[in-house]
Amino acid sequence: MIEVGGLTKRYGTFTAVRDLSFAVRPGEVLGLVGPNGAGKTTTLRCLAGIIPATAGACRIAGHDLAADPVAAKRALAFFPDEPRLFDYLTVRQHLAFVARLYGVEDHEARAEPLLVELEIADKADQLPGELSRGMKQKLAIACGLLHSPQVMFFDEPLTGLDPLGIRRMKDSIMARARAGATVVLSSHLLHLLEEVCSHVLILKRGEKIADGTLADVSARFSNGETGVSLEEIFMRATGGTES
Amino acid sequence: MNPAGGAAPSRTPRGGIIRALLYLRCMSLRNLLLSRLRRLKQPKYLVGAIVGAGYFYMMFFRRSRFDRAGAHAAAAAVVPVDLLPAVISIGAVVLLIFVALAWLVPDQRAGIAFSEAEIAFLFPAPLRRRTLIYYKLVNSQFAILFTVALLTVFTGRWSFLPGNALIHAAGWWMILATLNLHFMGSSFAVTRLMDNGITPWRRRLAVLGVIAVVAVAAAVWLGRDFRGPVPSDYANLRTMAGYVNSFLSTGPLRWLLLPARAVVAPFLASGAAAFFLALGPALLVFAAHFIWVLRSEVSFEDASIAKSEKRAARIAAVREGNWRAARGALKSRAAPFRLAPAGRPEVAFLWKNLLSTFPLFRPRTFVILALVIVAGVNWMERDAGFRGLLPVFSATASMVGAYVILLGPQLARQDLRNDLGNADILKTYPLPGWQVVLGQMLAPVAILTGLLWLVLLALALAFHPQHWAWLTPALRVTIAAVLVPLAPVICALQLLVPNAAALFFPAWVQTMRNRTERGIEMLGQRIIFVGGQMVVVILALVPAALGAFTLVFATQWLIGPVAAVALAGAGVLAILAVEVACGLWWLGRRFEQFDLSAELRP
Repeated sequence: MIEVGGLTKRYGTFTAVRDLSFAVRPGEVLGLVGPNGAGKTTTLRCLAGIIPATAGACRIAGHDLAADPVAAKRALAFFPDEPRLFDYLTVRQHLAFVARLYGVEDHEARAEPLLVELEIADKADQLPGELSRGMKQKLAIACGLLHSPQVMFFDEPLTGLDPLGIRRMKDSIMARARAGATVVLSSHLLHLLEEVCSHVLILKRGEKIADGTLADVSARFSNGETGVSLEEIFMRATGGTES
Repeated sequence: MNPAGGAAPSRTPRGGIIRALLYLRCMSLRNLLLSRLRRLKQPKYLVGAIVGAGYFYMMFFRRSRFDRAGAHAAAAAVVPVDLLPAVISIGAVVLLIFVALAWLVPDQRAGIAFSEAEIAFLFPAPLRRRTLIYYKLVNSQFAILFTVALLTVFTGRWSFLPGNALIHAAGWWMILATLNLHFMGSSFAVTRLMDNGITPWRRRLAVLGVIAVVAVAAAVWLGRDFRGPVPSDYANLRTMAGYVNSFLSTGPLRWLLLPARAVVAPFLASGAAAFFLALGPALLVFAAHFIWVLRSEVSFEDASIAKSEKRAARIAAVREGNWRAARGALKSRAAPFRLAPAGRPEVAFLWKNLLSTFPLFRPRTFVILALVIVAGVNWMERDAGFRGLLPVFSATASMVGAYVILLGPQLARQDLRNDLGNADILKTYPLPGWQVVLGQMLAPVAILTGLLWLVLLALALAFHPQHWAWLTPALRVTIAAVLVPLAPVICALQLLVPNAAALFFPAWVQTMRNRTERGIEMLGQRIIFVGGQMVVVILALVPAALGAFTLVFATQWLIGPVAAVALAGAGVLAILAVEVACGLWWLGRRFEQFDLSAELRP
């Protein structure tokens, strides 16, 4: 469960995110959409505890991110657009490292099925430098999923994946949501959001333009038309410009 | 008409190509210099440039009173004319070793080093292969001239060298330019051999065979015509040099070393006349190499592309601060110890960061070194003939200890400095900031502590000067025992400073991590950084040192010096531990607020 109230992030005089409020319940997948510079990544980084919010409150799985960041972070996983890995740890060593940080005592029992599911079991003793971009992404996902997070943040999760990888990633996200995880993801690929997300939040210049279920947001911007695509809704909501 | 709309030129004039390539090189150099000058507008570069220039001046140009006083004495110490042939012969041998290595070491086809941009623009351009070689030869002159300038400044302080700066510069150029041509020519020849099916190992065997034949021929010749050394040959430097020169000028060795001697001779010329006399043979060798290289047309493009890709990856790794990756392809390693899934999370960072460093930094290595020290000191103490080495051993250990304390924190960087790029991921871990900072610092603390403990062991065993009666064995052991727990705390205190810099001035540290960045301003920045670290550490040590002195003076009359030192040690440990804890808490708070992307915004 994610509850966000009045989230604001400023860099000096520049406001990246302004007074953002929303909630995502377990099993829901929220898609963050918006033009470049809308504040999607900043929002995700604030929610994952990477950068402190200037104002507002965030609760992750019932823990206040500002007051009890350690408990909140224990419940979440953040997947950046570019997999951040340690060059000198093998796949298996990455999992051992992360397990110790999260106190996952049965990590070996958990890691094996995870590696098999993500199809990197045969790469377990390889370093990131020996893996393809997609494999690195999978390793980052395996590290994030090892402690069975209740809340997951994906920043552009499909960047650099091949068509098969994209299909697997979509299936994986939806499977985790069906299992009760709360998922927020940002992407420019609107057809992905249409397939995966139950809810959508449209941002522009750091402010919320619209949020709700896909049906709600469609109804608001469809002007009575039927079968309007999310792309068309996005264009209408944002006015078709970045600024 | 071509598809682009204009008439394609039928042929580019040869002079035009050369001019275009020279334009590329000159403009690149000009823009590099301009960008270096422009960035001096930023205070961090300007201050760095001033400090770096000052350091350079003090090191290489400033003649101190001591230097001036010693100059006259040094003038008398210039290599005498009768020793010069021996010096030239030894220089020729060194040159020949480099030449032999050029034929022995390569195991891949010739790949002339081009940048990725040069490959993208020049390889598809309508240029002949020979033009590319010519371009690289001209291009390499910029690097050679820069190296010549540095070496001339450096060897300018060698007062024993004959000649003057101009002769040295020209001499260095002759040596480096000829070696450069030889490396290129030998790499082409190696490629041709490989194209003809001769594997690197067969070639190496053949080269070693040639060396063996020359050695045997020389031995036979020497056995017949040359006498072995007699005690009078060791009488002084002059007789030794005379013997070495006569040895290297006999039979086949004389002919073998002839071209190398010719190349080295101009550098050691004592004046203009001698220089020009030596220049003729050197230029002949140079010209022969030049013709050899230009006539050796082999296909180097594939190997050059592979080389440039590797080079680009290496530069990218260095810019990331990843020196292990920069040395070549990373290989997975056995973990330094088994990481249990439960326990203090800081240990996971120690485990991770030890994996990132040399595999030598393992507990087993330190244990073996400790055993070697114990056995070595024991052997020196038992053998009266070697007991005199103990003070030398102690002095060496002290020097190593001083280096570890002064430079260790700058060199052991397996901490936040190397992981700044992963700050986003580190911040998602469910740990308070101080635990992340402590965990990140543990690996360098462990490495430096291990080294300091070895130094302490060596000093405790070997340092017992007889004129220091007050340094009783009991006091010596007590001091060592007090310093053992202090070592990790002092290392941690020192490492707080560069890690604080990484968190408070990440842009500065990012620039310093990028060791491909060169220039006098970068040198100055590093000097400022080391100086700043020393000042902070000294300030942090002042309260502890004052407390320790007070405790020793106040209590030694009552409880004796041994107990007083132990008590003072405990006091120092407590004060430093509190300082380290405060530092960790402060840096932890900073880490929690840290946003690298915001910090690096221009």
